[in-house]
Amino acid sequence: MASQLEPADEIALEPVEPGYKSVLRVRLVMFWSVLWAIGAVADQAFLKLTPIAGLPTFGVPIIGMAAVVVAPQRVYRRLHFRLTERMLQVVRGWLFHVDTVVPLVRVQHIDVTRGPLEKIFGVATLVVHTAGTHNSVVTLPGLAPERAAQIRDIIREHVRTDFA
Amino acid sequence: MSEPTSPDDSAVGPPEHLHPFFLLTGLGGSLRGMAGLYAAIGYLAVSGKLGSALISVLLLLAVMAAGIFLYWRRFEYRVGASEIRIDSGILNRTHRSIPFDRIQDVDIVQGPIARALGLARVQFETGASGGKEEGALPAIRLERAEELRTLIRSRRIGTAPAAVESDEAALPAIYQMDLKRLALAGTFNFSLAVFAGLFGLTQTLGDFVGFDPFEPNFWTGLLSAGDPVRELILAHRVASALAGAVVLVLVGILTGIVRTMLTDFGFRLDKTGVGLRRRRGLLTRTDVTLPVSRAQAAVVATGPLKDWLRWRELRVQSLAKDENTRGSHVLAPLARDEEVDRILDEMDWKPLPGCPNWTRVSPEFVIAFAVALSPIFLIAIGNLVFEPIVGIVLLVVLIGALGMRWLAWRRTGYVVEGDRILVRTGWWRRRTTVLPARKIQSVDLRENFITRAFGVSWLQFGVAGGGMTGHSIPAIPRGEARKLRDLLLDLGA
Repeated sequence: MASQLEPADEIALEPVEPGYKSVLRVRLVMFWSVLWAIGAVADQAFLKLTPIAGLPTFGVPIIGMAAVVVAPQRVYRRLHFRLTERMLQVVRGWLFHVDTVVPLVRVQHIDVTRGPLEKIFGVATLVVHTAGTHNSVVTLPGLAPERAAQIRDIIREHVRTDFA
Repeated sequence: MSEPTSPDDSAVGPPEHLHPFFLLTGLGGSLRGMAGLYAAIGYLAVSGKLGSALISVLLLLAVMAAGIFLYWRRFEYRVGASEIRIDSGILNRTHRSIPFDRIQDVDIVQGPIARALGLARVQFETGASGGKEEGALPAIRLERAEELRTLIRSRRIGTAPAAVESDEAALPAIYQMDLKRLALAGTFNFSLAVFAGLFGLTQTLGDFVGFDPFEPNFWTGLLSAGDPVRELILAHRVASALAGAVVLVLVGILTGIVRTMLTDFGFRLDKTGVGLRRRRGLLTRTDVTLPVSRAQAAVVATGPLKDWLRWRELRVQSLAKDENTRGSHVLAPLARDEEVDRILDEMDWKPLPGCPNWTRVSPEFVIAFAVALSPIFLIAIGNLVFEPIVGIVLLVVLIGALGMRWLAWRRTGYVVEGDRILVRTGWWRRRTTVLPARKIQSVDLRENFITRAFGVSWLQFGVAGGGMTGHSIPAIPRGEARKLRDLLLDLGA
C-alpha cells in the first residue's frame, strides 16, 4: 500500500477495525446459508432427473465456505480511509477499486449507525451525505464507535453549503 | 366544515379556492391511476358479464367524481404577507405552510384547454432537489398566478411588486426561436417514430380494419389489381425505391417538425431578477424560471451534422426540476456559439473558449472496448463459416461499434480552465460539459483489473441534480488522475 501514497501526504491512510472482518463473515454465512437452502430445495424439486442434479446442494456450500474464509480478510485489507482538515477519503477494493474523496465543506449531513451485528462486534458505520446524485451517500463501515463519533464532530465543524 | 385553528390567522389573507376546471383535470388524473380496476372490468366484460362490467364502470366513475368534488370543495389556500398556506385532503387533511423565502420561484404551466379558459397550474420550486412536489395549485386563474409570482419575487429581491413587473416587461429576450429556427430544429429532430406507431396500430387494428401495410400480401394484391400500375412500378424499380426513400425522409422530417413545434413553439429566454425565465410550448405552455445560483453544470450538446453547420444545444443541470428531463433544463434548443456565450454571460459564467487545449485520454478507452467485444467477434467469425450472412452482419455491426468508439476517443478530452473543468465526449452525441470546481460534491477515482493493466483509471464527479450517471472522464493515466483530482479539490475549496 505504501507505494500508492503520494509523497506529500503526512496523514496516512488508516485501516478500519479488525472487528469488521467478523461482521462481514457473519453476513456472508447468513447469505450463503440462505442460498444453500434455496438451492437444495430447488434441487429436490426441479433438478432430480437432470444431469446436474445435486450440483446446488454440494456446489453452493463449497463456494460459500471459500467465500466466508477468504473474502472478509481481502475486503478488510483493502478498506482504508483518511481524514484531513479539508477532506474525507475512503479507499476500497482491488479488482474494482474505488477511491472516493469528499471535501468537508460539501458534506450535507452525517450519521453514525450501528446495526445489531455491528453492536456485537464493536464497530460502527459512518454515513456521509452529499448533494451529488452520484455518491449521494458515502459509507465508511467498520469504525470504532468513538472514532466514528470523533470524525462526525470534526466534519460538522467544517460543513458549509453555498446553495442559495 | 371544520376550520383548522391557527394562531396567526390575521397574517394570511382570505381563503381562496381552485377553479372548477380542476374537476375535469383531476378526474382525468385519478382515472389514470386505476389500472387494476380496469383489468378487473376488462375481465368481466370479456367473460360475458357485460351487465356487471357496465355497473362497475358507472360505479367507478361515480366514486371518482364524488371524490374529486369533495377534494375540490375542501381545497383552500391562503396567501399571507410572508407565507402561503395550502389546506388539502378529504379525510387526511394536510395543512402545509410554505414561507416565501423558501420558495425559489413559481412555475406556471398551462395545458391547451386551460389556456383557452385563462387558467394555469402553479408549482412552487423550493430548495428540495428534483422530485418531491412541495406545493402545487392545480387550477387557478392566470392573473392570480402571475400576481402570486410577482409577489413572491418581490419578497426575494426585496423590492416592491410594481418594480419587479416593470423590470421584466422592459428588457428584450436573451434568446428567442422564430419559426425558421423552429423548423430547422424540427428537421434536425428527424424522427421515424411515426412508423413505429403505425406498425403498432396496424398490428392491433389490422384484422379489424381489414388491411395491414406490413404484410407482403397487401402489396402484391394491390399491385396485381392494377396491371398498368404494376408494369410502371416494376419497370422503374429504382425510381420507386427512391420515391419510397424520399417519402420516408419527408415523413421523418415532418414528424420532427411537428414534435418540435409542440414543445418549443414561442421559445423565449429572459433575464429576471431571480434568474432566467423560459417560456415555451404550443398546446401546453410552460413558464419556469431557473435561479442562476442553482445551476450546477452546463452541457453544450451537438451532433456530427449540427456541429458541421455550427449549431448547438445548451442545457443546464440544476437543482430545480424541469418538467420532462429530470434536472436538465434546456436553455437553447438550437443556437449559435455567440448566443450560447450570451446566455452563459447572463448567468455570470465565463463563455466557452474558442480552441481549448484538450488533454486527450488514453487509447485504453478503445482497447478495453475491443477486448470486451472479442467473444462476440469470435462468434461472428465462427458464424462466417457456417452461416455467412449472419456472420457478415455481426462483423459489420462490431466493426461499426468499434469504429464509433475510436471516433469518440479522438474527440474525448478535458481541460482545466480557470476555476472550472471542461470535458468533451462522444462523436455521434457530442457533448461539452462545463463544470465549475465549486459545484463538485465528490470525486471518485476508479480502477478495475482491466484498466490497471493499462495503468489508467477514470474519474467520476458527484454533481447535484441531473441524472444518475454523473460526469466522468475515462481512461486517464493514474498519476495524472490523482493530480487532476487534487487540483479540482483545491480550486473548489
